[in-house]
Amino acid sequence: MRAIKKVLGGDLKQYAMIVVLCSLIIIFNIASGGKMVTPSNFQNLLSGNAYVLILAIGMLMVIVVGHIDLAVGSVAGFVGMIVAISARDFNLPWGAAVLIGLAAGVIIGAWQGFFLAKLGIPGFITTLGGMMIFRGAVIWISKSISVPAPPELKFFGAGYLPEWGPAWTGLNNSTLLLGIIAFAAFIWMEGNGSRRKAKLTGQRGEVWPSAIKIMLIGAVIGYATYLFGSGRPGTSFPVPGLILVILIIVYHTITERTPFGRHIYAVGGNKGAAALSGVNVKKVYFLTMLNMSLLAALAGIMFIGRSTAAGPSDGTSWEMDAISAVFIGGAAVSGGIGTVRATMIGGLVMAVLNNGLMLLGVGADRTQVIKGLVLLAAVAFDVYNKTQGKSSIISRLFQKKETAAETK
Amino acid sequence: MEADYILQMRNITKTFNGIKALDDVCLDVKRGDIHSICGENGAGKSTLMKVLSGVYPHGSYEGKIIYQGKEAVFKDIKESENAGIVIIHQELTMIPELSVTENIFMGNEVVKNCLIDWEAQRHRVTELLVSMGLNVSPDTQIKHLGVGQQQLVEIAKALSKNVKLLILDEPTSALNEEDSANLLRLIKGLKERGITGIMISHKLNEIAAISDAVTVIRDGRVIETYPVVAGQVDEDRIIRSMVGRSIENRYPEHVSNPKEVMFEVQNWRVEDPRIPGRLICKDVSFNVRAGEVVGFAGLMGAGRTELMRSLFGKNYGIYQSGAISIKGEKVKLNSVEAAIRAGLAYVSEDRKNLGLNLLDSIAKTTVSANLRAVLRNGLIDPALEYKVAEEYRKALGTKAASVDAGVSTLSGGNQQKVVLAKWLFPEPDVLILDEPTRGIDVGAKFEIYSLIHKFADQGKAVLLVSSELPELLGMSDRIYALFEGAITGMLSRGEYTQELLMRLMTSTSKAEGGEKK
Amino acid sequence: MKKLFKTALAATLSLALAISLAACTSGGRTEQPASPAASSTDSSNAAPDTSINANGFAADATIGVSLPWLGTQNWQEASDMFKNQLETAGFKAIIQAADNKVPQQQSQIESMIENGAKVIVVGPIDGSQLGTVLEKAKDAGIAVIGYDRLLENTTGVDGVVQFGSIETGRLQGQALLDGLAKVKGAGPYNIELFGGGPADPNAPNFFKGAMEILQPKIDDGALTVVSGQTDFTQCATLDWDNAKAQSRMDSILSGFYSDKEIHGVLSPNDGIARAIITASENAGQQIPVVSGLDAENESVEWVWSGRQYSTVAKPTDVLVAKTIEIIKSLQGGNGMPATDVKANNGKIDVNIYELPPVVVTKDNAKEIFANDPARMELLK
Repeated sequence: MRAIKKVLGGDLKQYAMIVVLCSLIIIFNIASGGKMVTPSNFQNLLSGNAYVLILAIGMLMVIVVGHIDLAVGSVAGFVGMIVAISARDFNLPWGAAVLIGLAAGVIIGAWQGFFLAKLGIPGFITTLGGMMIFRGAVIWISKSISVPAPPELKFFGAGYLPEWGPAWTGLNNSTLLLGIIAFAAFIWMEGNGSRRKAKLTGQRGEVWPSAIKIMLIGAVIGYATYLFGSGRPGTSFPVPGLILVILIIVYHTITERTPFGRHIYAVGGNKGAAALSGVNVKKVYFLTMLNMSLLAALAGIMFIGRSTAAGPSDGTSWEMDAISAVFIGGAAVSGGIGTVRATMIGGLVMAVLNNGLMLLGVGADRTQVIKGLVLLAAVAFDVYNKTQGKSSIISRLFQKKETAAETK
Repeated sequence: MEADYILQMRNITKTFNGIKALDDVCLDVKRGDIHSICGENGAGKSTLMKVLSGVYPHGSYEGKIIYQGKEAVFKDIKESENAGIVIIHQELTMIPELSVTENIFMGNEVVKNCLIDWEAQRHRVTELLVSMGLNVSPDTQIKHLGVGQQQLVEIAKALSKNVKLLILDEPTSALNEEDSANLLRLIKGLKERGITGIMISHKLNEIAAISDAVTVIRDGRVIETYPVVAGQVDEDRIIRSMVGRSIENRYPEHVSNPKEVMFEVQNWRVEDPRIPGRLICKDVSFNVRAGEVVGFAGLMGAGRTELMRSLFGKNYGIYQSGAISIKGEKVKLNSVEAAIRAGLAYVSEDRKNLGLNLLDSIAKTTVSANLRAVLRNGLIDPALEYKVAEEYRKALGTKAASVDAGVSTLSGGNQQKVVLAKWLFPEPDVLILDEPTRGIDVGAKFEIYSLIHKFADQGKAVLLVSSELPELLGMSDRIYALFEGAITGMLSRGEYTQELLMRLMTSTSKAEGGEKK
Repeated sequence: MKKLFKTALAATLSLALAISLAACTSGGRTEQPASPAASSTDSSNAAPDTSINANGFAADATIGVSLPWLGTQNWQEASDMFKNQLETAGFKAIIQAADNKVPQQQSQIESMIENGAKVIVVGPIDGSQLGTVLEKAKDAGIAVIGYDRLLENTTGVDGVVQFGSIETGRLQGQALLDGLAKVKGAGPYNIELFGGGPADPNAPNFFKGAMEILQPKIDDGALTVVSGQTDFTQCATLDWDNAKAQSRMDSILSGFYSDKEIHGVLSPNDGIARAIITASENAGQQIPVVSGLDAENESVEWVWSGRQYSTVAKPTDVLVAKTIEIIKSLQGGNGMPATDVKANNGKIDVNIYELPPVVVTKDNAKEIFANDPARMELLK
């Protein structure tokens, strides 16, 4: 048991959801007769959920800071429509239209941040207003009629990486290259981290946990590379998935490794203490909301790429999907707790459930009921752990043994 | 017993986790008297009142309460209220958005045919208000009233419940002088209605003004009770009773070596953020030298914490005027961030609410006030963070399994060491410690005291705020006393005694002994 | 507390599990492991319908039907009929409804592709937002048939089965005129116009067809649109939402008809028609002549009792039957049946299989529903 803990790192609780996710994939794969784990289905899974997961990244930060953003769906729909309209009616090149869309996201974020940070209106209300404003605005500017999106956007919303190089690999070589880069980067980071720790603290960790970890991750990356790369010719690891992965890395770094990230957790965990530690609480609120709307804009643009058109009801109830992902990922409603990684797992649990139930031919009605129950169960599990004293059942089992060992 | 006692509390003992908060307390209150109870912060005054009013139900304490000649066994506050005992707390408990009438009858509505009978209620409220000389409409929302008037409405609420024994817990702590005088007059007037009053207070002038008897409580015991002739209270006697204990050898030996003036505050004036017009710092001036530990004494509500937080980047209150100099240079500290950069550090009295994020680990907390120092290529370096946290853990002797452990898993003393580490890591010149030993056991206290001496020896200017007089006397090179937001005196080591200090803190007439600022 | 929590947790989880299992057993599980990727050829630029299924496919192949939602009677009927008739014909049917959410419908169609469907019938929520997934279906060699609404902005569509939407509109307009003459005596008449959900490509066509009939009468003064709102975007009802139509009618009546009588209203479907009638009654007006569409049960009753003047039946069974006829033709290797009508969807010309709708009034209701026992029940 201690060995497992050494390999995986301190907190085992975060792996509970990964176990759930893997079990779901396996169960659905068996139940659907092998239709779950196929290249095309995994490509669909990523392309079709990238926009929700991107929203969930921003939503995680908003929830950690202690607020909630109900406007993200409307903002995504509004920005998508702005991009489509500026490309169609003003004949702008797609790149310019996208820039206008992202700028709109920033402006909307600043607007929401202004109400929250400067006027002190709670995020729930600020964004409830925003939800109505931007839903109305999207219907208004579109006159309730769908507008075709610039065809180039399809690459970002549902595209694939190019095919090149030798055919003997049997895989899409772009995907193969990505896999190799990912693996190399992981080894470098793992090595670099422990080297630096050894240098500063003089503690040389054991080598074997790192080695096993590298082997495990290598196997996962290898399998993913094979799965995504071996699809129909012309397909690869999907572009929206790649955008998502880049954003996950960037935001994981921001939340875990930058002062701004620390400030988000500090404000969410204890606003008064954060203010007394020199954190500018208003600035943190403002930037968090700004970032959320920027990500919503990006999600909206990717979605119209996939849909090939921007519709007046785009984005309806996306905020709920994003919020569910964050809470299934173990974030606390009161703020201060939650990670990008866990949120992504939470979002994928929802996505796999949705996808798997569809493959089994289950209708939207029952899918909704099941998703609702899973959300409740996940959060209940979390609350249960907290009432039992912060740590999870699993880690408590380990802790008892270890503290007993240490006191001897 | 010829006297007519409305209340006799017999041998009350109340323990929390093995610590005796009340130890064999007896209290006799005569019908129609105003009986004052005084004592230091934490002496057990409030606990006693909670026992009396049923907040701590019968059975959770030892001893007997005889009220109106019968033994009282209150299970909750409702039962004691029905018996005519009403407590008015320090913090007002009214709902600001509701009217005077609604508040007075909250939970006690006059009901006719299942509906609230507003006419009857309003009628009774008007009567009450008139009889109290309070000139406000029964329909006024509470938030439109001043704190003094709110306090009166609280009393009106108590009167509406047919109160026989009214307990006032530091009723004037939030009031200005005029309102205080008003309130005291009214309390005196209640005697004529046959209402007995118990007033918890540590303002000796108030006690002198209205009480018929005084009980002094210290460390959970009654030191003495004696009747007084109103207007003539032996303040010396009360003060001696309040503090009368020797300073044992609970403080490490230390010879300090003060150098140049490090931190100087001039005419610092700050307004209360909640009550416009009320000052929480009244032209405060003081200075602290490098290598010196300077104590700040004051009773609850004297404005010590408020002063320190307002100095720390204007974190509390509305700044009006005044200047801060560090090392002789004037500085403007408009945000906490600026204060930290200028070399200030503030360890809050309220560790759980203002000092720590209980969700964080020791390592994250240690670096949280100085993240810049653990950046490498613009990113936080976890290895460096770990190293720093580990160094401070060792230096302060924090007992924890590892610096990755959550601060919520630590004991109070170790949590306090983590907070100290957090504020030492920015390497401040001026260290403000607000109640650094609150909620910490004796052993840990000694360690913290040693650390404080160490900081001073490193050339830091240390400001020590404490409610415990022995702690101030044992630790400080000089002590400033605060009373209602103003500095009432400064005493140097050798000059001060507990009595003298208590006089300054209560701003009694004989306070001339100290150098008045 | 602890125990309570455990019980609650267990209960939620087991409920979820139970529903999943129920879902598994009732869902169409197929044994076909053949992944579409394996069977497809590299056909990124192949012409839409000629090469697809030239040799037909197995008689027990999987057919996917993706419907927008089940919130109105016609979609519920379509769902039931597809299931019965496809299974009777020996196919495996996956029938799913998307709860009116575009991303949901996109994923559904993708999962049908994963499930190896040979034909996917799509009743779109928004005909222009399925481009990518339909092209994916095309690349996988699947025939895509639009059901009831045009599929726009994509090359991935082989044909659309629908009622002639302009013709439907004309019928609605004519029924309104006939009704006014019959019920409200001599003109001129005060009327108002309502359109359908703008995201549905049929809605502007209904409106256009109706206006072909009504516009000349407006121009010569026989009809007056008192509110002056005659543009489709002014008259449209977002998402075909009855509540929105009703509040628009409420405000028109209070704003323009305080001293006038309203004689007739053009309504694009039955739900909106009933909303209009309710609003008129609430405003104290005589019930105006109102057109409709879909022959929903409630409206058939209202037509029979005289509250709603007319509806247009687009018999779902006919639409489903035509769709299944096309599927069978594809299965037999005969390709898409020939048709004269084509419509440009923004990318390509699409085969349109138009079916004629029928006007229902109190006078002809019994003849029209003679073969529909459920609706005959209502005519009593």
